[in-house]
Amino acid sequence: MFSETFRWLRTRCSRLFCRGKAEAALDAELQFHLDQLIAQFRGEGMTEREARLAAQREFGNAVVYREEIRDTWRPPELADIWRTLRFASRSLQRSPGFALLAIITLALGIGGNTMMFSAFTSILKKPLPYPGEERLERFNRATPQNATGDFSPADFRDLQRAAASYGEVAAYTPSDCSLSEPARPAEIVSGIRCTANLLGLLGVPPQLGRNFLPQEDLPGNDRVVIISDRCWQKRFGGKDDIIGRTLRVDGQPHEIVGVLPASFNDWRHLGWVDFFRPFGFDKDKMSDRRDTILRVIGRRSALLPPAQADAFIANFGAHLAKDFPEVNAGSSWRAVSLASTTHGRSLPAMLKMCIGLSAFVLLIACSNLANFLLARTITRSREFAVRSALGASRGQLLRPLVAETFLLALAGVALAMLVARWGADWLSYRSIGENGEPVTLVFSWSVFAWALGASFITAIAFGMAPALFALRLNVNEALKSGGRGMTGDRGHRRFRQFLIVGQFAMAMVLLAGAAVFIRGLDELNHRRAGWQSAHLITGTIVLPAASFPDDQQVRNFHSLMLERLQAMPEVASASVSSFTPFFDWPDIRKYIMQGRALPKPGHEPAAAVNTVSSRYFETVGTRILTGRSFDERDTATSPKVIVVSQATARGLFGNESALGKRLAQTGSDPQEWAEIIGIAADVKSVLPAAPQVTFQVYEPTEQHPVRYNEIMVRTANSAPARVVNDIRNVITGLDPDLPVHDLQLADSAIDRANYQIAILRDILTLFAMLGLGLASVGIYGVIARTMAQRTNEFAIRFALGARARDISRLVLASGVKLALLGSAIGLIGALGVTHILAAWNSGMHLNSTSTVLGTTVFLVGVALVACWLPARRAGRINPIDALRAE
Amino acid sequence: MDKVRSELLQGTLDLLILRTLAGAALHGWDIAKRIAVVSNDRLSLKQGSLYPALHRLEDRGWIEAEWGISKAGRSAKFYRLSRRGRKELQVEKAHWLSFATAVQNVLEME
Repeated sequence: MFSETFRWLRTRCSRLFCRGKAEAALDAELQFHLDQLIAQFRGEGMTEREARLAAQREFGNAVVYREEIRDTWRPPELADIWRTLRFASRSLQRSPGFALLAIITLALGIGGNTMMFSAFTSILKKPLPYPGEERLERFNRATPQNATGDFSPADFRDLQRAAASYGEVAAYTPSDCSLSEPARPAEIVSGIRCTANLLGLLGVPPQLGRNFLPQEDLPGNDRVVIISDRCWQKRFGGKDDIIGRTLRVDGQPHEIVGVLPASFNDWRHLGWVDFFRPFGFDKDKMSDRRDTILRVIGRRSALLPPAQADAFIANFGAHLAKDFPEVNAGSSWRAVSLASTTHGRSLPAMLKMCIGLSAFVLLIACSNLANFLLARTITRSREFAVRSALGASRGQLLRPLVAETFLLALAGVALAMLVARWGADWLSYRSIGENGEPVTLVFSWSVFAWALGASFITAIAFGMAPALFALRLNVNEALKSGGRGMTGDRGHRRFRQFLIVGQFAMAMVLLAGAAVFIRGLDELNHRRAGWQSAHLITGTIVLPAASFPDDQQVRNFHSLMLERLQAMPEVASASVSSFTPFFDWPDIRKYIMQGRALPKPGHEPAAAVNTVSSRYFETVGTRILTGRSFDERDTATSPKVIVVSQATARGLFGNESALGKRLAQTGSDPQEWAEIIGIAADVKSVLPAAPQVTFQVYEPTEQHPVRYNEIMVRTANSAPARVVNDIRNVITGLDPDLPVHDLQLADSAIDRANYQIAILRDILTLFAMLGLGLASVGIYGVIARTMAQRTNEFAIRFALGARARDISRLVLASGVKLALLGSAIGLIGALGVTHILAAWNSGMHLNSTSTVLGTTVFLVGVALVACWLPARRAGRINPIDALRAE
Repeated sequence: MDKVRSELLQGTLDLLILRTLAGAALHGWDIAKRIAVVSNDRLSLKQGSLYPALHRLEDRGWIEAEWGISKAGRSAKFYRLSRRGRKELQVEKAHWLSFATAVQNVLEME
């Protein structure tokens, strides 16, 4: 029984799919019959020729049988669908322009949307590469200055001791290190230092070698390093003998003990970290409660409900705040899921906004499609009227329309997948960051399903709606009007006008959002408030503690390096500082003022601190407004001095002169008072998020030598490219183990730092251009078609004495009215989008009314051009020809 | 004897083919021949209706086809009844007989 069914299925399938074979078999079968006939006639005594002719006569028309037989091969429903589709494809081929436009419209709309969705799923929905990720938490120590602050070693040590009831905790701190090998220039490698249990806590064992041992947390045992797969492949050629190899890291020999798996490097959490080293804190560092440098991660015990874990962490923070008010007053602890911290605060919202905007593009595309299809259906209304008069049912009338839409959707999906693919590739390529690693956007089936669903739903819905509209037509009327002058009835016109108004409203939102954002970003990238970027070169060096064990050596190196740099003929001035003037300064300290009542613990004024060498202000171009800059009078042993920014001076001392006043950092014991010797202009960060602390304080490097240094070199004129190399040579000439990181013009550093926003800008621009293009095509199509359909009316108007100008104005006005209405509605949405953008990027100036107004004018201008083309044609109608064509 | 008018054949064509194939596997030519002989040439199947019917029956799974060698030594397509076709033959035959009896009863009424 089973084999019988199988044979039957095989026959059917071969007839459906292997037509050639089935046809050949049929030919053979019929030929056999014919030959039998010939043989029979021969047997009756005919000659070969006569028999052949007689047989053919008897046999009849084989073509007709074949057709009949073929019909039995296809199930009737399928044959019907096939016929309908073939008919639809032929009907589309007759108007290739329409078909192409519709397919491209769909592809762009759906493709853009799919691209955004794949970005969304790859960035936000993909789990982190850590097993049991749902129990991983990141702890934040919130202070009035910083909601997501980090922890001091002593606080962490206390937490570690008490953590048994919570689960396991680990800490790490970003710590780039210099790597030097014989015969290779030293380089800076991105790295972190962590507790020995960090990798175990994350659940990622090394693919080669071993994890850190508990005793490697102790100083002296800490000269081991685990490297990333990326570093292993790129720098060490992926060789197996890497384990046990010794490297000079920060000037000290370190042993490679492990290689992490490739899956570990995920830019969303730790980023592209190549070197992992244990902390190796000594006793002093471990009991430091002021220096909040540790990021803390915990793995909650499986038995502990999340609410209890949260309460435990909050309680612990509260205890520390009570026990150590001088450093922890006003701070509170919070545990958040690690997954929620993997991207910037605003990234999910930005992505959602992009998806929303891409949905706008899709909507514009769909309403265009609806408009095209409606117009097409209306011009064919006479055909429908005839068919319906001949007795075609509503279903039979609809079927070819549905088939056409189906074909359009199918082609649209195919092309949209390509568009999405290209879009994702572009986005990947565009998002290559400083480390040269693109963000990989994975293709997911859910995205594919989304594209498929979206296109079919949109195409069928937007294709069917006009069809249903058109089928409401009055057969009698349609036939009487003879197919001429069909503009559709009032309902159709309303619907199409509604679509155009909607398109322009959405295009307005897109365009205004993009324009405001682009201007904001430009302003951000060109903001040089409080310093000057021209001819300024910046770079980073980190002086390893191993080679520069004490402050005096750091000082010596600074003065030697600056002396050599200044001696270069192209260099006007050079300095070192702990931060560049253009980014946020993350080093935030709290201050008390001499001679004033102490504020409540935790409520002291906070300031971002930059430690700078004596010629810093001159080099970066920050003006000293009153008082003086640091100079050779300020040494390690002289009284402590600081320079404050204008906002700090005003904020702390009001109208009083700040010069000569003294400040001290909280928590220092004994208090170390520093005298304000100068007031500098305020410096603004070029990053899109506004800094949480607006006060700025400068300390001299002579009094507070730091190992992390930004080198600033201002050249006399625009520097030739080789100056950058010369600077590098000067520094490596001093210490071959010392790599210079990111040595480049300050302007390029700023552009690179804001590349994520630049991507957002590109996406917005892309969508805005798409939306604008689609909306213009839409309004052009509608106006041109109405124009064509009203030719008779215009001809009569001409005949009655209207001038070309009047007719053009009539056409123009009908279009511009719609565009204006749409833009006016869109203005409300545009203001909304601008507000959202401004809220997410508080450091950007995004409340630009003039830009929004300019966009409106631009959009209406585009509409004007789109309507002007058909309007001009309308003005050139020859009334005699047009009326004769009646 | 006159040939039966062709339209009468239409409804019974499938039945005739199935019945003819009940005995042995035959190719199209032999099916037509066999029917013609048995009906004393009153029923003659034109190839124009025979082959579409064969393909339709095969499509329904009532008969199966296989290429074999004809008596004259040529390769030909042989049809035979499938299990489902045999069942169908019983049903159709019973149906036809009861129909024929009914028609006869009406025609022979007093």
